[in-house]
Amino acid sequence: MNDTTVLMALVDDLAPVPDMLDTLRENGIGDGDIAILSGVPYPERVLGRPMNWERLPLISASGALVGFLTSMFLNAGTPMLYSIYVGGQPLIPLPPTAVLTFELTMMGLLVSTFLGVLWESTFPTFGPKYYDPRITDGEIGIVFRCPAHQTGEMGTALMAQGAQEVTEPEEHVL
Amino acid sequence: MSVETKAAPLVWPEEEDPREEHLLLDPRPRAELNQIVLDAMHRTGFGFWAAVTVLSLLVLIGLGGAWGYQIYKGMGVAGIRRPVYWGVYITNFVFWIGISHSGTFVSAILRVFKAEFRRPITRGSEMMTAFALVVAGMYPLIHLGRTWRFYWMVPYPNQRQLWPNFHSPLMWDMLAIFTYVIGSTLYLYLPLIPDVAMARDHSTGWRHKLYRILALGWRGTEAEWHHLKTAITIFAFAIIPVMFSVHTIVSWDFGMTMKVGWHSSIFGPYFVTGAIFSGVSAVATVLLIVRKTMKLEYFLRPEHFDAIGKLILIFSFAWTYFFFSDYLTEWYGGEAVGKELITFQAHGPVAPLWYLMLIMNIAIPWLTLWNRRVRRSTWWLFLVTIGVNIGMYIERYIIVTGFLQRNRLPFDWGVYNPSLVEVLISIGSLSLFMLLYVVASRFIPLVPVWEVQEGQITHSLRRIGRALVPSVAELE
Amino acid sequence: MTETTHRWTMAIDLDRCTGCQACVVACHAENNVPVVGEDEVRMGRAMHWLHIERYWVGEYPNIQARFIPMMCQQCENAPCEPVCPVFATYHSQVEDLNIQVYNRCIGTRYCANNCPYIARTFNWFNPEFPEPLNEQLNPDVTVRKRGIMEKCTFCIQRIHDAEHVAEIEGRPVQDGDVQPACAQSCPTNAIVFGDLNDPNSRISQLAGSRRSSRLLEELGTEPSVIYLSGGDAHVS
Repeated sequence: MNDTTVLMALVDDLAPVPDMLDTLRENGIGDGDIAILSGVPYPERVLGRPMNWERLPLISASGALVGFLTSMFLNAGTPMLYSIYVGGQPLIPLPPTAVLTFELTMMGLLVSTFLGVLWESTFPTFGPKYYDPRITDGEIGIVFRCPAHQTGEMGTALMAQGAQEVTEPEEHVL
Repeated sequence: MSVETKAAPLVWPEEEDPREEHLLLDPRPRAELNQIVLDAMHRTGFGFWAAVTVLSLLVLIGLGGAWGYQIYKGMGVAGIRRPVYWGVYITNFVFWIGISHSGTFVSAILRVFKAEFRRPITRGSEMMTAFALVVAGMYPLIHLGRTWRFYWMVPYPNQRQLWPNFHSPLMWDMLAIFTYVIGSTLYLYLPLIPDVAMARDHSTGWRHKLYRILALGWRGTEAEWHHLKTAITIFAFAIIPVMFSVHTIVSWDFGMTMKVGWHSSIFGPYFVTGAIFSGVSAVATVLLIVRKTMKLEYFLRPEHFDAIGKLILIFSFAWTYFFFSDYLTEWYGGEAVGKELITFQAHGPVAPLWYLMLIMNIAIPWLTLWNRRVRRSTWWLFLVTIGVNIGMYIERYIIVTGFLQRNRLPFDWGVYNPSLVEVLISIGSLSLFMLLYVVASRFIPLVPVWEVQEGQITHSLRRIGRALVPSVAELE
Repeated sequence: MTETTHRWTMAIDLDRCTGCQACVVACHAENNVPVVGEDEVRMGRAMHWLHIERYWVGEYPNIQARFIPMMCQQCENAPCEPVCPVFATYHSQVEDLNIQVYNRCIGTRYCANNCPYIARTFNWFNPEFPEPLNEQLNPDVTVRKRGIMEKCTFCIQRIHDAEHVAEIEGRPVQDGDVQPACAQSCPTNAIVFGDLNDPNSRISQLAGSRRSSRLLEELGTEPSVIYLSGGDAHVS
């Protein structure tokens, strides 16, 4: 499959997009070779695409665990390192421990969720990527990789289904 | 038995066009939506520069001059004295933490409950949260006797071999606020990414460079959207308890003490309610200004202020309920100090403020906000919401500085009046908040365009019988 | 250092107190407490670690002035301690006293707010010791800078001194070895200091008196200062 070309179809309406994807699939272009760029989030089932496997909740949960363990160290570990007694309270009092545990667990959860988004989406990457600034103006872009000999055929088919244009996209430095 | 109807004149309901009323039913092409938001960011006329100059000057005087003087001379330049060891600084701290509850409430709670009117106002209120937290976070530092030693509260291995005291509510406070600052900043940033990508695609020069970096290389692929939406959902659910915990812990700074008036288990929910009350009011105030000065009338419509006005009224009820519970308990308990505190508020030196608070927080909202016309009128709502925040400031002022003036042993009663330094610092910090907001509003797309468009896609008009009725589809 | 077997306690006989303020002056001198001047005192910024609270009893003309010398009560369960975020105040296991570590203090003033006796004082400005006060600074006590909380220490430097002397002489610390500045200077001997764990000490005798009580006892702070009062100035 060395002899392939990347094409981008720009569509200004969502309605024909699922049918266009079917056209591509019928011509032997798998879902792995197709990407859809949009300025508004469309869930997969709206587009008729397979679901993404989501690792984000797992990352968030691990972050929460790290936060929880940190709080354990601060609550129970630091008083052991240098014991100071205050106000007739035990060295490691339970109720204040709960407050701290909650805060640090949540901090771990939130920070890791954010880092998870960056990791999962491989952000930040500014390198040249197939893109068109018109995406954020509401156009939907279908980027796909097809065998070079099918280029013209695919273009015609998608134009017939309502694409504004089908071109070889520029690689933009984002 | 005869059925008799009074001959009331029959009136057919006027056919209002729902499109004029509801933003989400009035879709425009995305390019046009983008343009309105981009134009707003480039609106830097005389008013803008004048505001920036004046505010910068006030920040310089208050935070550079007055605070610097206080650090150099000592805390004595403030008006605090035995037994009022906490003054306006802690009042301001509680106040700004309260303001910071606005954004999270609007964008997290309303998001979780799918209140659709939230869509255009989330960004503006999240920005308030972030900047109010910046200001609030400064106050514990301003308040410290030895500001230059603030980092001793940070838990890190140090040559003193000493860890902070996690028994102290101030430590909980610091960690809670730290969590909240990080959480709400990220929560501001995440939904912003697609919007800065939009700005990147429509800008040149230094702006383009800035947005390029902020957009992280966003293209809008399905996977990117998917991760973003999941993350926003996680954030929305996770940041709500954090928000509650933050102001609860702020109230515990008082509640954990043995001081009569402060030592109250109702302080947590009482403070949280007050915070949301003042925060949501501040959202209305700020958005009214934003709409006028940045020409965002298309996005920010009477329907949104109507909804915010209802929220304010509800939180006025809730605040009154907690206020009364706290008051009644103290009144009925009959402890000598408690009785004295009641007298102190109703007849003492703070009595004028105390009654002003009741007027601003209870009387005015109750008398005005039930009225749809008031909620939709720019000036009325502006004045009412400013009033609410004056009232809420007084509430904190009385709780912090007032209650400290009365103690168990009558010899330890005292007085407190803020000094010029305290007033200047307070004005400086208010100016800092406004300055940050004004400047950031020219950098950050103030309306989440993609969220509005997403809403417009899912909203449509359905004919049921004789009427056109708005209906909502759910994408997820 | 080992944990103490002492239970340092102070008894103040309110029936003997004349409100002469000699103890206040002695405390200032012993502990390098700065004198802030009239204006600041009027503001409520006097630095007295020990102050005399005056209460009027009765109605004019049958009126009586009663005095309560007030200082840090060295609570067993001190409310000021847990609220400090940097352990600047804590309960020492060595002396069994409430300790203020000046160098750790960052000046949140939380401890002062949570003290039901309002016994703590704060350095609003850098201290000044104008001539000739600078000649009599006590070398055993540090001078505190602005922004720091301080309070009565039960003259901890004198406790340590007595312990050192006793150790050198190879004997236990005896009753009367330790006398804080206030007790030493009291012309009516209203203040007695000693070890409550020593059943023969004067303080133990006084603690058992039917005139003894502790201030705001109902709060459960377990203060180490005992006040003796018959409720009438003519009872002794």
